[in-house]
Amino acid sequence: MSQVEKKAGLLRRTSSSKKPLKEKVVLMYDEIFAKEDPAKNNPRFWDELFLMKVNLEYLETKLECLDGDELMKTKDNVNSLFHHCVQTLAEEHQIKVVNALQTLCALFRGVHQKNKSASGFDIINMLMGFDKAEHRMKDLMESLDSLLCGEGSESLKALCLKLLLCLVTVTDNISQNTILEYVMINSIFEAVLQILSDVSSRGRHGYDAVVLLALLVNYRKYESVNPYIVKLSILDDEPTLDGMGLVVGQALTEYNRQYKDKEEENQGGFFSTLTSMVGSMFIADAEEKLSVQTNEAILLALYEAVHLNRNFITVLAQSHPEIDIPTTPTTPVPTTPTTPLGTTPPSTDVMNSSELPLDPNLQTSNLLITFLKYSSIVMQDTKDEHRLNSARLCLIILTCIAEDQYADAFLHDDNMNFRVNLHRMPMRHRKKAAEKNVPSRPLVCAVLDLMVEFVVTHMMKDFPMDLYMRCVQVIHKLICYQKKCRIRLHYTWRELWSALINLLKFLLSNETVLLAKHNIFHLALLVVNLFNMFITYGDTFLPTSNSYDELYYEIVRMHQVFDNLYCMVLRVSTNAGQWKEPASKVTHSLVNVRAIINHFNPKIESYAAVNHISQLSEDQVLEVVRSNYDTLTLKLQDGLDQYERYSEQPKEAAFFKDLVRSISLNVRKNVSLNTLSQDILLKEFSTIS
Amino acid sequence: MGDVELEQSVAQTEEPQQHTPSTASSVSISSSPSHSLPSSPSSGPYHHHQPTSSTPSPTHSDGPAIPSPSLGVISEGVTELTLVIDPEVAKKACQEVLQKVKLLKGEGEGSGFEGGCGPDPTLANGTVHNKPTDPVSVGGGGIIKPQKIHEEEDPESLTPGSVKSARRRQRHNPSKQSWLLRLFESKLFDVSMAISYLHNSKEPGVQAYIGNRLFSFRHEEVDFYLPQLLNMYIHMDEDVGDAIKPYVVHRCRQSISFSLQCAWLLGAYSSDMHISTQRHSRGTKLRKLIFSDELKPAGLRARRPPALTPFCPLPNATPALHGHGVGGEHGLSPTKRTHQRSKSDATVSISLSSNLKRTASNPKVESSQDEDLSSSSESLECENHDCKTGTPVRLTPQRDFIKSLMGIGKRLATLPTKEQKTQRLISELSLLNHKLPARVWLPTSAFDHHVVRVPHTQAVVLNSKDKAPYLIYVEVLECEDFETSSVPVRISETRIRSTRSVENLPDCGITADQRAVSFSTVPNYDDDNEAWSVDDIGELQLPEIHTNSCDNISQFSVDSITSLDSKEPIFIAAGDIRRRLSEQLAHTPTTFRRDPEDPSAMALKEPWQEKVQRIREGSPYGHIPTWRLLSVIVKCGDDLRQELLASQVLQQLQVIWEQERVPIWIKPYKILVISSDSGMIEPIVNAVSIHQVKKQSQMPLLDYFLQEHGTHTTEAFLTAQRNFVQSCAGYCLICYLLQVKDRHNGNILLDADGHIIHIDFGFILSSSPRNLGFETSAFKLTSEFVDVMGGLDGDMFNYYKMLMLQGLIAARKHMDKVIQIVEIMQQGSQLPCFHGSSTIRSLKERFHMSLTEEQLQVLVEQMVDGSMRSITTKLYDGFQYLTNGIM
Repeated sequence: MSQVEKKAGLLRRTSSSKKPLKEKVVLMYDEIFAKEDPAKNNPRFWDELFLMKVNLEYLETKLECLDGDELMKTKDNVNSLFHHCVQTLAEEHQIKVVNALQTLCALFRGVHQKNKSASGFDIINMLMGFDKAEHRMKDLMESLDSLLCGEGSESLKALCLKLLLCLVTVTDNISQNTILEYVMINSIFEAVLQILSDVSSRGRHGYDAVVLLALLVNYRKYESVNPYIVKLSILDDEPTLDGMGLVVGQALTEYNRQYKDKEEENQGGFFSTLTSMVGSMFIADAEEKLSVQTNEAILLALYEAVHLNRNFITVLAQSHPEIDIPTTPTTPVPTTPTTPLGTTPPSTDVMNSSELPLDPNLQTSNLLITFLKYSSIVMQDTKDEHRLNSARLCLIILTCIAEDQYADAFLHDDNMNFRVNLHRMPMRHRKKAAEKNVPSRPLVCAVLDLMVEFVVTHMMKDFPMDLYMRCVQVIHKLICYQKKCRIRLHYTWRELWSALINLLKFLLSNETVLLAKHNIFHLALLVVNLFNMFITYGDTFLPTSNSYDELYYEIVRMHQVFDNLYCMVLRVSTNAGQWKEPASKVTHSLVNVRAIINHFNPKIESYAAVNHISQLSEDQVLEVVRSNYDTLTLKLQDGLDQYERYSEQPKEAAFFKDLVRSISLNVRKNVSLNTLSQDILLKEFSTIS
Repeated sequence: MGDVELEQSVAQTEEPQQHTPSTASSVSISSSPSHSLPSSPSSGPYHHHQPTSSTPSPTHSDGPAIPSPSLGVISEGVTELTLVIDPEVAKKACQEVLQKVKLLKGEGEGSGFEGGCGPDPTLANGTVHNKPTDPVSVGGGGIIKPQKIHEEEDPESLTPGSVKSARRRQRHNPSKQSWLLRLFESKLFDVSMAISYLHNSKEPGVQAYIGNRLFSFRHEEVDFYLPQLLNMYIHMDEDVGDAIKPYVVHRCRQSISFSLQCAWLLGAYSSDMHISTQRHSRGTKLRKLIFSDELKPAGLRARRPPALTPFCPLPNATPALHGHGVGGEHGLSPTKRTHQRSKSDATVSISLSSNLKRTASNPKVESSQDEDLSSSSESLECENHDCKTGTPVRLTPQRDFIKSLMGIGKRLATLPTKEQKTQRLISELSLLNHKLPARVWLPTSAFDHHVVRVPHTQAVVLNSKDKAPYLIYVEVLECEDFETSSVPVRISETRIRSTRSVENLPDCGITADQRAVSFSTVPNYDDDNEAWSVDDIGELQLPEIHTNSCDNISQFSVDSITSLDSKEPIFIAAGDIRRRLSEQLAHTPTTFRRDPEDPSAMALKEPWQEKVQRIREGSPYGHIPTWRLLSVIVKCGDDLRQELLASQVLQQLQVIWEQERVPIWIKPYKILVISSDSGMIEPIVNAVSIHQVKKQSQMPLLDYFLQEHGTHTTEAFLTAQRNFVQSCAGYCLICYLLQVKDRHNGNILLDADGHIIHIDFGFILSSSPRNLGFETSAFKLTSEFVDVMGGLDGDMFNYYKMLMLQGLIAARKHMDKVIQIVEIMQQGSQLPCFHGSSTIRSLKERFHMSLTEEQLQVLVEQMVDGSMRSITTKLYDGFQYLTNGIM
């Protein structure tokens, strides 16, 4: 108790007075936590309470400090407080509304803090009482809905969203938050959508709204019918979807920008020279510096939108100018006499202006490009668990995109060419590619580049098997689309081939280590089947006849890798054991690659012998390849262009549960007391009323 | 006896007019004393419905008998703004004038008329010269002078036998007949002649009469000469202007499209005037009048059925919509969907005000924003404009649409690379899409429609060094009448997929309203699982072209991978795969590679039908039966007035060649002049420039022909070759006659059928690029062209020369019609093509009226020889290659 008082005392402004005076509001809180009905002596008690500035900290600590029994004794009063909070929300007096909202936050948090072990039902009982709960929550949600959709103050809306976020994240596991059951029944989905579709409110509250939506969608996702999932999946309102895309896009762009800034900071100046001098010892340190807190909440929102709503795919390709500058200093628009005041709130929002800013350096971008850039940063380093999760989620989103026909159509659209500057990890054996030289190409090239980049850069001891699987599957899905639609993409496939062969090589050389943890045969099978796609169906999607020759050249050049792989899988498949079957599948899948090697290698050797050349040039090998096709027979393998469609359940359910938990924790941390008790807010209303 | 004959012949010529509806208004010309005065200024030109139409009277005979109002009276009435000349009054005035003329003439000698026509001696001279060599001047020649009729012996002429006798009779009876009037009333009197007389005659009465007579022509006929009419209105004297104005005002009241076109042309053709005179000029005033939208159809006579008026945004509805934010931001919740129909109109007017604001705040844009008026009139217009946003403004959506297209062009020009331009264009257009559909249309199109969507990813920036012309494709829905039909409901981009799933449903006969209902309930589709699975690429159905392809085989054995031993394995030869790959690549030569420096090449090469199909599939509106795809080139910073002139000449020549049955093929394309530095061009579909062909294919033109159409003996090749020859002959003649310069390969297109098409008439008549003295040959004929025609000795080459000769003879026969178009436009013009004093004279000389056909043949031979040998053609190509990279 004394601790509480101390806290209350600290908050007082008049620290000079020695006798710790209690604030009026604190006294009133104490009255509530007494056993008697505070309104008994003072009929205007509740009215007065909500006129006082809320002391969140005191209230929350008070709730925390009371132990279960004590709290149960004050249950009626707490119920009453809750009830009056809800009632006050409907009042016109805005200060009261603000105070009521803050009090509600404190109530939710305080009660949960106290009762981490208690079941949800106890909490509901404590706050509202079982019998009243449904009614109270209905009123609360309705009030919040009308506040969010109304013409009221923006700060008030912000506070409403904070309250909702607070409510949604009070438990670590969102599905255990039983109060949310009432949020399911009394949907605020429409209010959230309205915020997203409106230009000005989107700018201020878009982020919170999107995060809230993402979290709500994850409430008991797998166990029950979540109305938010249903509603989000059938959403087709263009401005709203665009709005959602813009909010996500802006958040990701902001991340990319921060990363870039840090990178530049690191590159220039004394520090970089120092690190390069000291050497690789401190590289980890430098990388630490580079890591910017990833934003999984927004990524989850993007995933849910892409996964649940098929209309959202079009938003991915919605082009807008790249917002690279932190806060574009909006040139103050001198209001011309012809403009009625207040029709256009100054906003940096892209959708707001029908004219784009006139800056030749401004690249056109879209959500997909921003996302790809973000992915390229996140995927660079997967050591940190957050980043690993982010990278995994990025790959899952890409999987969903690669499966979608419409998305594939615009990925391969020859008329939509973009320069996508992906971030590449600085590596010893390669120079940082000059960023300006990236040609403008269809977007699918950027996706493939990203996948190749991932394949090349993650061959490490702590092998991210799961990510590799997803990565190769994304490539496979894209190639399936190209084969089906006979799209001949002008892509340097060679880079992909050599990356894949190197991956096989890595799997082979680390066989023992990897086999302890992973089924490497599954990945090897996928990789070999990618080659089989090129070998047997290359005629349907390769851009030039030469590229087919080059494929053979690459296989023949790296034949040792395939030979070794064959030996390995043969060995494993002849031994009895858990890997017998998967290994034998790889054996079968290698039939054509081996046929090619066995067919061309002697031809090349004899060519070299006949012409007395020790080392054949590439052109010479290609020549041999070209002239010896006709005697080579390949075996048609089936099901190469079949793939399993992505489904969240049951495979990914555990991942998403953990992810949502970590997001909840993070969001709860960010919806701090500080953001709740904004002084500005009160100032705003004190001037109004 | 002459009298009787004449009366009969005139009566005969008049009679058909009474029955043809198109000339119904001409009926009102007939004069009877009771209708001699306009009833009131506001009654307008509509007197067709008065009983006069039923009482045709022998007009020519009662001319002198009626006490006509004096000329002074008429001109006084005409000067009033809204007062329209009453046809009858005008007619009488006209007759009066003619009488005077005849009196003068009767007093003089045989050539006395020339004296009577005193004010315009040059004109009379001009036509007299040509007479002997012009065998069918009445039928074809636009200018028919009384003298011409006197000397006319041609059986094709209007009153064959009676001419001489009539003249005789006229001498006896000078005051009784009006030759000119009889000509005017004959059925041979067409728009071309009317324009010619309007231009050449100095008599206010004649001008006033013709001004009225314009009402009797079909709209399309007059529309062709609209640039001429308006240029005369701007630059000629008061009387001509007064004669033209009623017609223009009348048409403006009828049609938004006509109004806008007039206003744009008026602006463009006024731009050469000095700024101070321009501000107070007639053209500017009329332009302002049109833009002020006072020329609405008067309430009672409104063609719009009252039932449709609710579709226009109501004045009181607009403020409410303002609240939703600017820039075509749409309603928020699904509950608002019912308002969408009216909103589409309203959003445009909203966006207009925002546009204006924004441009006003941006001085860079502002300075070049408005067409070409002085800043004072600009601000005036803005005010007008803004006050009106609340009321249904007829012209606003369309003007706004055009303005935003031009704005995009201007902004694109500031970007350095093609790639940036293209990307910028795409994103700008995607924003424009948010404001569509609206009551806007492409003026270059032939049918009424509403623009519903711009497939922004298909737009391309065209090749230009410092400007940024761009080509957009525009999805439209055909409609009955763009002014009255309701604007289509917006279907959001995101609904492509749901509409796609209902694509096959019969949709015919559904009215717009029903459709609106069906689309507002779209979420229904989302519930069925079938719609979901369509998006799965695993189930994507594609038409299988190669039935022998191995992937078909693979489809019946999906699970075989696990049961290898139990199944008969299928073997394929690697060589087959490789062969198929190269065959398929070889079989698709019609696609061009993507070239970031030349983004349009690939887009233009794609066959139009395939493009239409592709865009239709990707469009949320694609399932609607009235869906059409149009394309347009938006030019910003370019003066298209010369282009328009050239296009008119081309059209005229095309008509002439068709009429004379010369199988020459040319392709005039539509030009829309919006101001003196902006406009739109109708692109030629299925055509790419020869530069692009050569750059992409890297082979001589003949080889490209062989690749595209087949070997020498195939029918396809022969057809393409014939097309090439016929078009080549046409354009060679045009290049010669119009002195078209700047003929590098980037300005010559080749279409899918083998025709060549010249574009870019920026340098014609008296102007040539930088006056470097290149291109001295008559036209461009390279050895590559000759190769395609089968070489110098081939039949096709002779055919080419023969076509040139025939074409030249035909053109010469109708020279006046061609000259007239050019001559009128010269008035008041500062265009480079009229530089110097000899433009028209030189043009006339190029028709070689004095040569015999044999001499003409020699001339053609000489020109062809000269052009082929011309070193300057090659030099110019080399010069273009060096400076602009054009092959």
